[in-house]
Amino acid sequence: MFRYYFTLGLRSLRRNRALTALMVLTLAVGVAASVSTVTILHAMSGDPLPHKSDRLFVPMIDVVPLKSYVPGAKPTFGQAQLAYIDANNFMASNMGVRRTVMYGVAGPVEPARTDIGAFQAQGLAPTRDFFAMFEVPFLYGQPWSEADDASGADVIVLSRSLAEKLLGTVNPVGRRVTVLGQPYLVSGVLDHWDPVPRIHRIIGSKGAFGTEDEFFIPFASAIRHETRHDGGMACSGVERGPGFQGTLTSDCTWLQFWFEMESAGQRGELQAYLDSYAAEQRKLGRMPRHAPNALYNVKEWMVFLNVVDNDNKLAAWLAFGFLLLCLVNTIGLLLAKFSVRASEVGIRRALGATRRDIFRQFLTETAVIGLAGGVLGLLLAYAALAVVRSQSKELGTVAHMDIPMLLLTFAVSVLAALLAGLLPTWRACQVTPAIQLKSQ
Amino acid sequence: MEIRPILSALMRSKTGAVLVAVQVAISLAILANALHIVNLRQAIAARPTGVAAENDIFYVNIQSMDKGSHQRQLADQKRQAALLRGLPGVLSVAQTSQAVLSRSGSSTNVSIKRGQPTASATTSMYFTPDSLVKTYGLKLVEGRDFHPDEVLEIDEKVDETFPKVVIVTLAAAQKIWPGESSFVGKTLFNGTGDDDDEMRVIGVVERLQTQVGQVGAQGEHSLILPARMTGSRDSLLYAVRAEPGQRDRLMKEAEQAIRSASSERLLVRTDTLEKHRTSRYRADRGLSWMLIAVSTLLLLVTASGIVGIASLWVTQRRKQIGVRRALGARRVDILRYFLTENFMITSVGVACGVLLALGLNQLLVSQLEMARLPPGYLLAGALVFWLLGVAAVYGPAWRAASISPATATRST
Repeated sequence: MFRYYFTLGLRSLRRNRALTALMVLTLAVGVAASVSTVTILHAMSGDPLPHKSDRLFVPMIDVVPLKSYVPGAKPTFGQAQLAYIDANNFMASNMGVRRTVMYGVAGPVEPARTDIGAFQAQGLAPTRDFFAMFEVPFLYGQPWSEADDASGADVIVLSRSLAEKLLGTVNPVGRRVTVLGQPYLVSGVLDHWDPVPRIHRIIGSKGAFGTEDEFFIPFASAIRHETRHDGGMACSGVERGPGFQGTLTSDCTWLQFWFEMESAGQRGELQAYLDSYAAEQRKLGRMPRHAPNALYNVKEWMVFLNVVDNDNKLAAWLAFGFLLLCLVNTIGLLLAKFSVRASEVGIRRALGATRRDIFRQFLTETAVIGLAGGVLGLLLAYAALAVVRSQSKELGTVAHMDIPMLLLTFAVSVLAALLAGLLPTWRACQVTPAIQLKSQ
Repeated sequence: MEIRPILSALMRSKTGAVLVAVQVAISLAILANALHIVNLRQAIAARPTGVAAENDIFYVNIQSMDKGSHQRQLADQKRQAALLRGLPGVLSVAQTSQAVLSRSGSSTNVSIKRGQPTASATTSMYFTPDSLVKTYGLKLVEGRDFHPDEVLEIDEKVDETFPKVVIVTLAAAQKIWPGESSFVGKTLFNGTGDDDDEMRVIGVVERLQTQVGQVGAQGEHSLILPARMTGSRDSLLYAVRAEPGQRDRLMKEAEQAIRSASSERLLVRTDTLEKHRTSRYRADRGLSWMLIAVSTLLLLVTASGIVGIASLWVTQRRKQIGVRRALGARRVDILRYFLTENFMITSVGVACGVLLALGLNQLLVSQLEMARLPPGYLLAGALVFWLLGVAAVYGPAWRAASISPATATRST
């Protein structure tokens, strides 16, 4: 029976092409607008480490001088990162299963090949645990050793694309590359690793949706070479001596820190550690603000840093408003279409079709429109995302549709069409065969 | 006149009318808010940087692998600037620590008293050993540009000296010293500490946006400081003003000239102010286009909805129209009937739409930190939908008016 209704639906759609096209198009545009904006929102607020994001924590303590402190004010950029002193203390703390501190570095890469000149590359200077903590995949080799971390050895982990650019596709472990003006020994090469968003280092010149990190050197090595940081530093009101050493001994905040705990439940333990650490530092005359110490897991950290900005939310809201309009519009058009067919319904009813039959037939027809709208909406959404990708490098990394989004598109469009079809279908069922036939 | 019969006809079949009114209301609410946001974003992206003839400005960024001593770096900087200045077609060159709207650079808190509890302003810092005022073509509204003997040479690795004189933007000066009109000779402190460096204002420029280009007055809070620095910076940045139309040619030549003049391997990159501006406002432009696209589709969808419902009514009422025509109604009467009916429905939609727009705006203000909607947009939106309604219903109404009394009364 369903197949019969389906063919009837198709035939009826062909009868009034302009109206059908208009309905399908309206539905498709509404679906495309909402699906493409939701795709972007969905990717932006994605969680690259869903199985452990609730036990990774960023510690936040306030080392900024007392001046201009407003108790209870939302922490600002100055508190979002750590000073070198505190990062070192946290590294030595033995809290959790893994700890890492990092900062962004950028500088020239000098290829040994003569056919390409020197070029600029952006990387990170983390500690060894970084790779395990963020589950970074290795193609060749492995992370540097703990001894390398301790001594600040000149070893490097390259991204796959940088390794191929510098040394070809062979295994380069054990070879040397010149980066930031220093020779580094290659200890490993990553497979493609481009988490969206880049939760490990949202603050920094790449932001939450930048491109891949091209290389990684030990934190201690970067400090030893006085490698300049690439990213933000807050020094407001802080006493600071000259040069890199001046920065290291000051309360300027510029380092990103992560704790990995064994379970999300150990949060309280870590908080207690942080509080006792702050109390200890206050005895030394630091942290005069007595601001609350805080922990942020991955989700909270993304909210704190406004990873999904208001413009994207606005776009999604308005797109849904637009979808609503398209639905109301489709209701109107379906009403027009079905009411013209009152005589047909009258004849069918007179020949023995029940209301339920009519209801099924018209709803099937509506579903066909929904399906067509869904297919077209999907194509339009793909096109819209392609436009977004070509317009913005930052949004380019998030403007990709995945399988769940694809299924959602279909579900939304068919459901929307069925919803829109309910009222007109119900109205069509109310046709009284006697009156309808009499007026013929 | 005809309002009563129209009203009673409408009351008999409400669904269609309600659907049209709802569409108008939703459309108006979205359209008014969307256009307001587009206008705000366009206005933000159109703000002047303060730089004259922006499209003639380009930047040369030079990074050397081996920096050498303080003295050698100073000599390198002067040599590179002189080399750029010597290129035919180059009007002016100024080394600078940051570029306007490039979104990379540094800011500082300034105060007017030592140890002041809160900063007077947060300002962006342009360090230059040359005349950025001249290269950028900034308009001095008070005071003068730096003298060469005011430019300090600072080795940042060991030296904590800070420039003694400063040029401020008018916006920064008005923020730091509210209510005053003359700023030259005033003293400013870098930071809010007890032993912060003291600077004397020697000039005021009308406008120079920061490296970030923030929205609001903050976007023009900039300081220009005379210093040639070595040590802590990875690369050197030169702002170059080319003769009109020569920029693209000179960019290639400048890169070539710097490379060939140096025996060591240099990393040389060029960029333009135009590119910085484009990339600074890319997100705003993207949102604007998205909103414009949605608004256009919105109008089309609403219009198609009105045409659809009106056509339905015309079909349903063929008989009644025929009867009215047979009883002496002229074509223009039928036409007017449909136009009036539509106007009434649209008006209800517009009224609801205005409320809905205000509600939506309230939501945007409270949840997404958007601006409040000025009433002008509501008025304009109402006008748009009244016109749209009339235009959309005109076709079906004309078809209704063309129904001849004979055919209408004959059959169905």
